[in-house]
Amino acid sequence: MDDLTIIGHWTAATLRSSTPLLMVTLGETLTQRVGIINLGVEGQMLAGACAGFAVAAVTGDALVGFAAGAAAGVLLSAVHAILCLACGANQIASGIAVWTLGLGLTSYFGRQFIGGKVTGLAPLGGPSVAGVPLLGPILAQLTPTAPAALVLVVAVGLWLYRTSTGLKWRIVGESFETARAIGLAPLLVQLQGILIGGLLSGFAGAILSVDYTQTWANDMTKGRGFVAVGLVIVARWNPFFVLPVVLIFGLSEAATLRLQAGGLALSPYLIACLPYVVCLLCVIMASMREGRIGGMPAELASVFGRRSR
Amino acid sequence: MNGRLVQRSLYAAGGAALFLALASAFLLAIGHSPFVTLATMAGYAFGDTYSISESLVKATPILLCALAVILPARLGLITVGGEGQLYLGALLGTAVVVNYPGAQMFALLPAMLVLGAAGGAIWSALAGVLRARFDVNETISTLLLNYIAVLLVNYAVYGAWKDPASLGWPATIQFPPAATVPSLMGTRVHCGFIVALIAAVVLHVAVTHTRWGLGLRVLSGNRKVGTMVGLRFARNTLIVMALGGALAGFAGICETSAIQGRLQSGLSVGYGLTGFLVAWLSGQNFLRAVPIAILIGGLISAGDALQLYSKIPSASATILQGMLFIAALAASGLSTRRETRRG
Amino acid sequence: MAHALVTMAGICKQFGAVVANADVDLEIRAGEVLALLGENGAGKSTLMKVLYGFYQADAGEIRIDGKPIAFASPREAMGSGIGMVFQHFSLVPALSVWENLLAAFPDAPWLQGRSSTRVQAALRWLRRLAPSLDSARPVRELAVGERQLVELAKVLNLNARIVILDEPTSVLTPAETERLYGFIRSLIAEGKAVVLITHKLADVVACADRIVVMRGGRVVDHAQARERTPEQLVNAMVGRERGSSIGAPAPVTAAAPVLQVRGVSATAHGAHIRNISFEIAAGEILGIAGVSGNGQYTLAEALAGLIPVTAGDIVLGGVSIASRFQDGAIPDDVAYVPERPLDNAVVADLDLGLNLALRKMRKLSLFPQRRAITARAEALIARFDVRPPRPALPAAALSGGNLQKLVIARELSDTHRLVIASYPTMGLDVLAAQAVYRTLFEQAASGACVVWISEELDDLLAYAHRIAAIYGGSFAGIVRREDASRQMIGRWMAGMDREAAA
Repeated sequence: MDDLTIIGHWTAATLRSSTPLLMVTLGETLTQRVGIINLGVEGQMLAGACAGFAVAAVTGDALVGFAAGAAAGVLLSAVHAILCLACGANQIASGIAVWTLGLGLTSYFGRQFIGGKVTGLAPLGGPSVAGVPLLGPILAQLTPTAPAALVLVVAVGLWLYRTSTGLKWRIVGESFETARAIGLAPLLVQLQGILIGGLLSGFAGAILSVDYTQTWANDMTKGRGFVAVGLVIVARWNPFFVLPVVLIFGLSEAATLRLQAGGLALSPYLIACLPYVVCLLCVIMASMREGRIGGMPAELASVFGRRSR
Repeated sequence: MNGRLVQRSLYAAGGAALFLALASAFLLAIGHSPFVTLATMAGYAFGDTYSISESLVKATPILLCALAVILPARLGLITVGGEGQLYLGALLGTAVVVNYPGAQMFALLPAMLVLGAAGGAIWSALAGVLRARFDVNETISTLLLNYIAVLLVNYAVYGAWKDPASLGWPATIQFPPAATVPSLMGTRVHCGFIVALIAAVVLHVAVTHTRWGLGLRVLSGNRKVGTMVGLRFARNTLIVMALGGALAGFAGICETSAIQGRLQSGLSVGYGLTGFLVAWLSGQNFLRAVPIAILIGGLISAGDALQLYSKIPSASATILQGMLFIAALAASGLSTRRETRRG
Repeated sequence: MAHALVTMAGICKQFGAVVANADVDLEIRAGEVLALLGENGAGKSTLMKVLYGFYQADAGEIRIDGKPIAFASPREAMGSGIGMVFQHFSLVPALSVWENLLAAFPDAPWLQGRSSTRVQAALRWLRRLAPSLDSARPVRELAVGERQLVELAKVLNLNARIVILDEPTSVLTPAETERLYGFIRSLIAEGKAVVLITHKLADVVACADRIVVMRGGRVVDHAQARERTPEQLVNAMVGRERGSSIGAPAPVTAAAPVLQVRGVSATAHGAHIRNISFEIAAGEILGIAGVSGNGQYTLAEALAGLIPVTAGDIVLGGVSIASRFQDGAIPDDVAYVPERPLDNAVVADLDLGLNLALRKMRKLSLFPQRRAITARAEALIARFDVRPPRPALPAAALSGGNLQKLVIARELSDTHRLVIASYPTMGLDVLAAQAVYRTLFEQAASGACVVWISEELDDLLAYAHRIAAIYGGSFAGIVRREDASRQMIGRWMAGMDREAAA
């Protein structure tokens, strides 16, 4: 295989791997931008994966599956919203509770679907483009979800920094009280932030089960939701930076699969540690420089236990 | 003061009612009578001596993992790493057994337990160092480390430590009697339970009544002021994380040794997460964690029995835990809001 | 006769057990400056926040243009033409100036590019108030005086008919204060109404047309400005003939310096101090004047040994503090009353007894005796008049002034070599402030070096042995009290006439 084809395969694998993570990280970025941390994205992603797979398997339609997954994510995130906004519960504990519920519900109701198969979306390029150098293999392996995710990154970034609603969301995330003082409705904005995060994380889960793996397995997200929370910090809460950061992780995941399949003498379980180690290293580097660069929405600082200076 | 007690009890009752409502809704949705099912579960949990002993068996690792969450919480650290620390403790403790299977009990058993505790301590202290030196949020780091720990154990039991005699099932050799934690009164409840109880009492006294415990309170309340009067955040972070991890690691090796008899994939059914729930339900209080851990241990044990006898998958216990957590958070959050509004 | 834009009648507001406003009547008229005068805690801010919709009144009626109205949120008040510039600004530090202005601009477009005409409209008032300010800069980089101008522009963007200013001059240099008075007068000339909330007589004398004095939540006096003398106003504010002012501290007898600061530079949270040098003898009080945000916090933290110095040395009693930097722990012979005590001096969730024992933590026994801690706390609380006098209360339950007294009780109850007091009378009424000064003078009399950072220039000129002014992280000058004047210090505070460091 010539070099271009290899690069093409790697690019495709990375993009495919990154697509679900892009969605959930974007969603959590928006949620954290309004000053809320939601660890429940892991449970929301699971719920999206399970509901998405179940509906897609029953109806035979992947898009309906995506919608179901997004809806499941929204429902579960609503629990987090009620607990944090209405009941004043601790955000980290609430997220873990939502995760627990999501884990239990998907383990319970998903057991009949374990190992099943669905047909995902058709790839972007048919056999006719397979011969095209570099783009051929990429288009042959990618489905519409990948470019959709890329477009979403740009759209969310532009929306956050260039529109008045984006500005209002940023203000709520910096100072709840200031938002109130200038006449905004911060609680409503935070609710929207949580629910949008739920929608995107549920959608991400559905992409994972219906489009990427095309199956359902218990606890199949394997901590990707938590990885997303960490990557939001690494991306400095900037939607544009989410793309390169997630691609790094996606690359390590793609490498993991290649190494495992490639017959490397190392145990597949050790290789599987790579993505988590990469994420942890990124979070460490980001935390080290946080004090000097900043960028954390100020309201979030109190959740993370740092006194605002 | 009396009014506050009444208000808190009312909110607690409300929380319990919310949990029962949620649980009932779920049970009805899967076609079972809430009343009958919950009553059956109570029976499976505490109905006879065998049930009680099974509940205590589950309660032991849960309590230890809860203590592993509560101690760092007293310094203001929120760790969800019990699962990973439990696995690392099992890993390191098993390493002793696998390498010295023929050793005498008086050497093997303590070595195994000590290394088990050390395994958990190291894994937890890793997150502690990251927090103390680099300000890495410990919740995220412990969550990620959980997944790595499970993979490391899989690496061992699918690889170098796989027992050929287990016919393809990924597990180590059976632990020899010299490496088995002794049990209590002929039941499956093992001495780890006693250690957990002692640990709860000792930690409670240490954190509530000593100068060191007061230092933790000061640092967690205001790190800057604590540093100003000479307390050291970094050092205390390492201490509480390591001690907590040691308890979870001890739980891991005890589970492996006394309950499972060998290290295998799927060692824990989420004891780390359950420990987090128990810690939160107990209000980060060491003593209150004991009865709550026993209750939740009963819940999990009943869940297993439900799967066996009533054909309700044991994942239902996870769902119920989630609902219990949500109800408790709603009730306590609303109660605190009410109190601060009164001023 | 100007007509009443706003009438407030019988306003009552309570927070738990604290009565902030009791049966208050007030009128705001167009084309007039109304001064709402009173000490800290008199209820002036609360009253205006009720009008602004930030709080809802428990009882009473508000009428705008004769129509009864009650704003449920600031947004509604802003829509009715009422704008308020808060004492603690409602700007978002991380965002740029134009983004802050745009967020509160009623006519803001959905798509926001810097060059669009509607965005430029939001900057109109800012250009008038501060023509040289670059609106792309993040607010956190602005000086306090500049931030206040942005805040004012934000309010004026709303086409406010009524502009409420909450303690606007407390963070300004004398020159910036004069400029603000000028703006107020031009607003009046355009027919707007201005309400000036203040505790400073200078503001009233310079601007006010009508004065309302509040004390303890009630209106105690109401007159045209020309009908009252400053003496009468002070009596109304304080409620009694002001007691004899306290005597100045004893002059310094020792000659040898005990505290020597040589070429010290340091950084704390982005604020720098550079090349600061001075010496203090035993029993001497050095007052440091300056607008907050010019390095006072960094200097105080460095002297207390809480941050490392990047250059120079601090020598106390012959022993170098700076080189013995102990990871942010304060040496035993240094007393420190920091600014913002809730964040920097106490643990909010701990009770008063434990907070008072914090400096002695390392000397507690392994199992600390509660009774001893409580007994010591009760004695200190009584001696320094901390209210309510209950050692079991959490520190968060105290008002700002009582918290200040608590910290002073802890820090200044023993003798020390060095006393650092940052804004020690913040939030205290006149009598409590005098008690604090007396404690400081006692410390000086027993041989301590006192570094006293304050915004009350008149107090510094009355009591400090020497006065320094800090500007932009270094000393603009040091002078003895006898040789000092308000103009001289004021110019140093504004960055003019810099001297070489003494």
